Order: sequence, then C-alpha cells, then structure tokens
Amino acid sequence: MEAVNPYAAIPAKIKKIIPETPNITTFIIEGMPIEFKAGQFAELTVPGVGEAPFTPSSSPHADDLEFTIMKVGRVTSALFDLKEGDQLGVRGPFGKPYPLDEFKGKDVFIVGGGVGFAPLRSLLLALIHDINDYKKIYVRYGARTPGDIVYKHLLPGWRKLSKLDWLLTVDVGDETWKGRFGVVTVILDEIPVNVKVAPAIVCGPPLMMKFVTQRLVEAGFQHEKIYLSMEQNMSCGIGKCNHCRLGKVYVCKDGPVLTWEDVKHVEEPFV
Amino acid sequence: MKTYLIFLDKISIFVTELAKEGSLYYSKLENGKTHFVAHHENISIEPEFSKIRTPENMKHFFFRSRDLVARFPKDKSPAVSKQFLVGLKNCDLRGIDVYDRVCLKWQPLDPLYKARRDNTVIISADCPEPEECCFCNLVGLNPYPDAISDINITRLERHYLFETLSKKGEVIIEQFKDLFIEAGKEDLKERDKIRKNAVKALEKFNARSLPDNISERVEKADKKAKHAARKDCVECHGCLHACPTCYCFLLSDYRKGKETERIRTWDACYYAAYARVGGGANPRSKFDDRFWNRFVCKFDYFMQYEDIYACSGCGRCWRGCSGKIDIREILWKL
Repeated sequence: MEAVNPYAAIPAKIKKIIPETPNITTFIIEGMPIEFKAGQFAELTVPGVGEAPFTPSSSPHADDLEFTIMKVGRVTSALFDLKEGDQLGVRGPFGKPYPLDEFKGKDVFIVGGGVGFAPLRSLLLALIHDINDYKKIYVRYGARTPGDIVYKHLLPGWRKLSKLDWLLTVDVGDETWKGRFGVVTVILDEIPVNVKVAPAIVCGPPLMMKFVTQRLVEAGFQHEKIYLSMEQNMSCGIGKCNHCRLGKVYVCKDGPVLTWEDVKHVEEPFV
Repeated sequence: MKTYLIFLDKISIFVTELAKEGSLYYSKLENGKTHFVAHHENISIEPEFSKIRTPENMKHFFFRSRDLVARFPKDKSPAVSKQFLVGLKNCDLRGIDVYDRVCLKWQPLDPLYKARRDNTVIISADCPEPEECCFCNLVGLNPYPDAISDINITRLERHYLFETLSKKGEVIIEQFKDLFIEAGKEDLKERDKIRKNAVKALEKFNARSLPDNISERVEKADKKAKHAARKDCVECHGCLHACPTCYCFLLSDYRKGKETERIRTWDACYYAAYARVGGGANPRSKFDDRFWNRFVCKFDYFMQYEDIYACSGCGRCWRGCSGKIDIREILWKL
C-alpha cells in the first residue's frame, strides 16, 4: 500500500464565515475533513498562497470544523479574502491533545487572552461535553476592549452552566462595560482551586502567557500541570523541518500544548 | 556479510554494467580532486576512491534543494527512478543515517525520501588518505563504512575488495558474479592494514578528542562563548547548505494553472526569518543565538534524540567557510 503523503492537504469547503471582532473571524468548514482531539492543531492551505497552523475552535464532537483566526500575516490575509463556498485545504491533525483523562474529578482552571481563547473554546466545549466528569471549570478571560471579546453570542449560554465559573476583564472599557478592568492577571488574585492538583490551561499573546505563567507558579500550581499553548514558526507540522523546535522539544509534535515543566529551561519560551 | 575481489581493470566494466540499469553517479578525479559526477553514455567510467569525500554532498540525491512534495487539490506521487551512487565515504553515510532517522524512523515517514532511498544502490569506499579537514573520528566514525551502504569497496594493491553490507548489495554481486572471485584471509589482512593507517592519519590531524559531556557544554555555553564563536562569520550560510546532516526545510506553495504545488526547499537556521512567527516576533532575532543553534542542534539535541551527533566530521563547513571557522576549534574551547 502506498504511504500517505503527510504534506498533502485534504480539499474542504468554507460553509460559513462569522466575523467576531474587527480583525478576528471564525471560518466554519463543511463536515469534518479531519478528526481531532482538543489541543491538536491543523494546517490550513489557502490555494496558491500557502499554509499556516491553527488550532480548531470547535468541539471535537461537532459536525463541522471551525477555526477562529486573527488577521496577522500573509496567509491569514489571503484567508480573509476567501468567501463562503470557496475551497481551502486542511492537513492534520498534528500534535498531542490535552490529557483530559488526567483532568477528570478535578477543578480545571482556564486562562485566556484575546484570540487565544479560540483553541480554549475547543477545550471548553470538550469539557462541557462530559461536564459531570470534572469538579468545576473556571474560566478567566481578558481582552483589550469589550469589542475584542470573542464568542460574545455564546457567553450567555455558558454563563447559565452551574459548573462553569466565569470572570472577564478588559484593558480599556466603554460605557456599556460593567465588568472588571485591567490585564488578565488582575482577575487571578483569587484562585479558588486546589493548586496542588488542579490543571491550569493558558493561551493568549506571548506577554500575557509570560505574566500569567509567573502568577500561576507563584500561586503554587504544579509546573507539570500548567499547560501552555505555544506559538512558534511551523512549517511541516510533523517534526521534520526543525522550524518550531523550542529547546529540545518540537512544538508541532510534542505540543502545541506544552507544560511549564517542558519549557521553563528555555531562555525565552514566549515570543 | 561476504567479501569479493575484482581486478583493478574490471571495475570500469562493473560500473558500466550498473549504468545500464539506472542513473549512475560516481566520484571522478578532476584536477587532483574527486568530484561526484553523473555518468553520460559513451564515456568510459573510471571511478576514483583514494581521495577524501567529494565537495558535493549526497543529500541532493534523496532530498533535493527544491522538491515538489504535494499537489492540491489532487495529490499524486512523483515518479522515482533507479540510481546508483558509487564512491561515498563514511562521512557521507552519516548524513544519510541522519536523514534515514528523520525521514524514515520518525513517524510519519516521508514518502518521497523513502521512494528515492528504496530506488538507490549505495556503493561506498574506504577513505585511505584523510586530510586536515577530516574529523570523523571525533564524531564516532571510522574512515571506512560498516553500515548504511549496500556494498563497500577497499582498494588493495592488485584488486578492489568488495564487501556486501546489505541484501541489495548481495543481489548485485550475484548478478555480476562472473566479474568477482572470493576474497581470502590475506586480502582482509591487507585491507585491515590500509584501514589502520587511515585511522592513524586521522588521529594525527585530530589528536585531541572532544571534551567530555560536550552536549552539556554546548547547551550551557554562555553569551560570551557564543559571541566569540561567531566572530569570523560573514553570515553566508554556506556551511549549512554544504552540510550533509543539516535537514531543515521550508514548505512553500505556488500556483500552477488550476493546481497548487507544494515545494520543499532547503532552509537554514542562520536565516533571520527562519524562526520568525506570523505576527513578526522572533525567538532568535540575534545572530549569536542563530549561530549557536547549529551547535545545540548537532551536538546536544540530536544526540538526545538518536544517540549520534548530527555531524559527520567531513569538514565541508570549514573548507567552504570564508571566515575559516573550524567547528572543532569551537568545541575544543568549551
């Protein structure tokens, strides 16, 4: 039998495009061209332009595959030019999923920043799918302004779940904002979980990751239970091209979620 | 594995016969140096094995500087034809060993590499006269192969001694058995003497072994040591592209009619954009860190992954370097 070509993307169709904020959009891909677990990522191909890595924002149990993407570079700009019904390519899934079995019976502490909440949404939906397996889920989310908060339409439904505890903050508020102000670390003063056993999951901009990790370490979370979504330049996605190596680990095959224990020896893990 | 003899004047017949079955590339003497050249019909083949490895490195034959690796939306496997490589040295084989581990052992395997590897017959040769640039003995190799290739050749006084190192090699000898006679104990003694002299010559150039715990020393090198190591570097990146063990690459997509072609090109960790992410941040924005990445990759990380150095001791990086940076000098100073 001929070996599967790991560099070839599977053709897929954009079913729907949902603008989330002025520069963040959710792309819904028809059907489930790849099967993934929360925490794994895929490479999206814009035909004729190139590919870039993204973690799905949808539930692994959903019928369609979703990605919430910020427009930052060449490939994402071309992606934002695509329309509903257009073709793109999907390659993956790559990397290791969150160890959800290890989270069972424990509180789960999630900290997100900006578009970093996209991959966390996939995790959150996977946790909600089996919500009775976990003690309680705490979400701490910070955005620059109320307009930069992603998934606003989903928040009311999530807030109704008794096993979900939410706290939001914005750097700069407006007249409608009634929540907390300041960067996300301001809502980490109180950590209502047993830090000796609870996993903490973090995803957001590099600077936010750095200071949140510091705070979680100070609070006493176990280093091997602080899960960080790492961002590095990726090309192949399969641990061969060497681009995403962070210290001796490959973000694409050993991550993209790595623990603080994995990366704390790296001189500057957050870029 | 078995050993055979072939008369010196018959080697040309042997390789000419091989050339009828596929593309043939071999080490040829040109102006006092050997170069790896393609055989063209109606030109007699006179391979030369006495010199050190050729300046050309062998990764081209399995992992080209520019390769079409996938098509979109419909992928199809590229055609791969049979090739014979004659005259590789053990340092060349270390390069192939590293690629075998990355492309075949580490899953998922690379199908294009596998197809080329399966369709290639490697005939290596002893390296009887190491030169100043050679340091394969420092990275755990001998100046003669005992694995990776299919057949190895040692030039004796009156014969070439062939040793089969794989099933593929045995099949070839069987196919041309009329050209060969079995080797005896005296022939092996003669070979051992040649090999002993080659090892001695290498030791003369490299009397000092690498410091103990070199992986740890490389990992813990301070900023001063990293800066001092790169002070003569002109950032041409030639060392990385000349290196038989460097395997970094980049995938880029190009439109061709209605199709998209995914092209794999060699990349090098010295390039400023190598580790830069979409938003513009760069974990190795300083050249000191990029320069040192080569050392941690070859002498620390690959050793941790595979228990071998991703360095062949071939000296191509030094020979081709405008700043004459010798990797050995840097390692000895740690």
